[in-house]
Amino acid sequence: METRAATPLRSRPGPAETPAGTLAWYRLSRSDIDRLVRSLNSAYEVVGARCRNGRYTLDRITDPAELALEFPPRVHSPKKFLFPNWEKLFRFRLGGKIMLEAEKAAMPRVIFGMHPCDLHAVRILDDCLFEGEADSAYRAKRQATVLIGVDCEPDDYCFCTSLGTDRIDSGFDLFLHRVDDGYLARVGTLRGQQLLRRHLPELQPVDDPHLAPASKACRRSIRFPVESLAPVLGEVYDHPVWKKIGDRCIGCGSCNLLCPTCYCFNVQDRLDLNLKGGERVRTWDSCQFDQFTRVSGGSDFRPDQTDRQRHRFFRKYKYLWEKHQRTACVGCGRCSRECLAGIDNTDVLNSLFTEQATAELTPAPGVEYQPQMAELVHVEELTEREKLFRLRLPKAVDFRPGAFLQVSVFGVGEAPLTIASAPDPENREIELVVRAKGNLTRALHRLSVGAAIGVRGPFGNGFPVDEFVGRDVLLVAGGIGLVTLRSLLLTILARRQDFGRVMLLYGSRSVDAFLFRDDLKRWHLGEELDCRFAVQEFNARWGVTGGDITHLFRDLDIVPARAVAAVSGPAVMYRNVNPLLFGLGFSPDSVYLNLERHMKCGLGKCGRCQINDITVCQCGPIFPYSRIRHLREAIER
Amino acid sequence: MKPRVGFFDFASCEGCQLTVLNLENELLDLVELMEIVEFREISSAHGEELDIAFVEGSICRPEDVKRLRAIRARSRQLIALGACADTAGINALTSDRPVAELVREVYGDKGEAFLVAGRPRPLEAFVPVDGRVPGCPIDGGEFLTVLQALLIGRTPELPTFAVCAECKLRELPCTFERDVICLGPITRAGCNAHCIAEGDRCRGCRGMVDAPRSGPYYRILEEYGLSEEQIRDELRLYNLGGEAKK
Repeated sequence: METRAATPLRSRPGPAETPAGTLAWYRLSRSDIDRLVRSLNSAYEVVGARCRNGRYTLDRITDPAELALEFPPRVHSPKKFLFPNWEKLFRFRLGGKIMLEAEKAAMPRVIFGMHPCDLHAVRILDDCLFEGEADSAYRAKRQATVLIGVDCEPDDYCFCTSLGTDRIDSGFDLFLHRVDDGYLARVGTLRGQQLLRRHLPELQPVDDPHLAPASKACRRSIRFPVESLAPVLGEVYDHPVWKKIGDRCIGCGSCNLLCPTCYCFNVQDRLDLNLKGGERVRTWDSCQFDQFTRVSGGSDFRPDQTDRQRHRFFRKYKYLWEKHQRTACVGCGRCSRECLAGIDNTDVLNSLFTEQATAELTPAPGVEYQPQMAELVHVEELTEREKLFRLRLPKAVDFRPGAFLQVSVFGVGEAPLTIASAPDPENREIELVVRAKGNLTRALHRLSVGAAIGVRGPFGNGFPVDEFVGRDVLLVAGGIGLVTLRSLLLTILARRQDFGRVMLLYGSRSVDAFLFRDDLKRWHLGEELDCRFAVQEFNARWGVTGGDITHLFRDLDIVPARAVAAVSGPAVMYRNVNPLLFGLGFSPDSVYLNLERHMKCGLGKCGRCQINDITVCQCGPIFPYSRIRHLREAIER
Repeated sequence: MKPRVGFFDFASCEGCQLTVLNLENELLDLVELMEIVEFREISSAHGEELDIAFVEGSICRPEDVKRLRAIRARSRQLIALGACADTAGINALTSDRPVAELVREVYGDKGEAFLVAGRPRPLEAFVPVDGRVPGCPIDGGEFLTVLQALLIGRTPELPTFAVCAECKLRELPCTFERDVICLGPITRAGCNAHCIAEGDRCRGCRGMVDAPRSGPYYRILEEYGLSEEQIRDELRLYNLGGEAKK
């Protein structure tokens, strides 16, 4: 069993409560109470719990022996006396002239057997029905009713200890605490005091009342602070839990009808049989019923049990909390006790809180530097120095062409590698090109298929492909810069009809240094793009242009106004290529450069990739030229 | 001009008309407002135009269909009175056996010569029905409410929620607590949970609510050990006619 003390709730006395001048205590025996009941019957309708056919119910008590003061929580709520079903609002007479008849005064009544949670429920009804223009029908009954509290023992469905409704210090006229040889009566209002003086005049106050602190334990509980209820619900309006319980709900309305604080109602006219008059009546209603939110024309704003159950929870734990700073639930358990479908408020609320708490857990320190493990599934030699690696990641990742991964070989270190394959949110496999030139890259080259590789990321900001849509695309690749552009090119080819002419200018040191030669041949021989190649070490093979990549710009047939250029290569290449592009008429906004630098952390913290005031790993490595032309360190001097 | 009211019956026990007759004290208040022009139990007039026709019983024979259509033709409003007229009621219990077999079983070999019977159907299967008083038998108070609404020209409205709600309002213990199956969760309210109050369970005589939560309800019945066939048997007593109608 779990028990915890909730934060005490703010006291908000109803209008009928007048605090007694001094708090008084009286000792009563059971026979005193019997005499009190008998005496009260002359002036009040006395209501209390009595057992009938093995079942307790709050009912009229005329024989004091019938009154039970210790009874289980499974009793219908006192709401039926303060806010009854089928309450007559007024009578009207028909005939030539319509006349309205005022309702007579409320019956004076004493309710014995208010459990603490039901006393809290009366407070909630007060908050709601006295807000703004008070409901006078409720107020009349409220003021005419004496509330006498008794203690209780929670059963399997109660969770009042979670809500602080297992104890109460005010809001009653009298409270009868069970003690060994009778009852200790605590006076809560002047009315309670006068009641005892008039009906048990011989009683004397107890000077030094000794009441053992009551401790109650509930099997069910809300395992988080009650003040978190409204914020938790604020995040879950569209949560699947509502459909889950909505699919179980049979829409019988028991949860509302039995609830001590639900008061939604319908108003209708009832005619006398002779049609000479009638009355307007108020009947309890339920937000779980079909007609509750149905309007003229047949529309229904909460058409199924999923919507209706969500509304029930939101009204109880969020909407009314936000109005009155008090949850409208008192943890009496009546709704789940009587729910044939087994919907349990505490289960729902605890699961929602746990889910949000888990999502907000602070991860372990340094977790952002820890790689995930990927599997090497394919290795392919591209050139004498470069290999293509295909990795299977723990889960599919999304990125824009130009993004990179930080790849680890433990014991050696970590290095950034640009992704060479196209983004595919459903594909866990990703391709990288590794040039053997350092310790880590040489260690990668020694790996075999099946090896485990550490991976962090992807990081970085890639090409904004959607801005290329509808335009001609000029791709300028120098050496290993083709790796980045391959990702972009494959992305474009996958949705080829979205783009205009696509041209690839590729320059390299020698024919043997060309990457993706099979791809290049296929692209060159195909009709989807226009390819030109240049090598500095001239060779008759492939029939390529001799010279550096600038030679490929000669006689270039392109309309810069409707084109975009993507340039990726060594920094020295940009000094020669950029002026050619601008000379052709490209604007700085439509030229994108890959400014890969020595990126160490990928998180914008280590400072190694910094260019003036920006970090390449976060803002780049792909930049429009307009973004960087003011940066003196962007392009190698 | 007082509204003219007629009562008619087809295949039924006529318990609903008896319920109406048992309302003699209450009817005295209303009798000044209407003219009962046809009630086989108390009257013998025939053939006049009617404002309201209350029809009890389900339709089994071709001549019943003809007679029902004649009633419909002369009535401004036709109200199904009781479960037999509304959903075919217990008459539809026979719907899983061939009619010829039933006739032979009851009347012997010569039965077919005297009886041309069909499957019991609700009134709605043959003529438009303007309203209904459900139940087996009907609830007297509900009948008076419907009649009063008709007399003043208001559309009668039946509750859209289930008997379960009335059970809770009466503070009755749930029959499921003693492992007894009850059809209250999907049966239309309006009877004030009379059968549960008398110690029995709801058997669905008032027909289903407009949008019964059959899925979650059947799941509950399965948790109580009912098979699919047993669930269907539970519903057949009063609601198979409704299913056949759909």
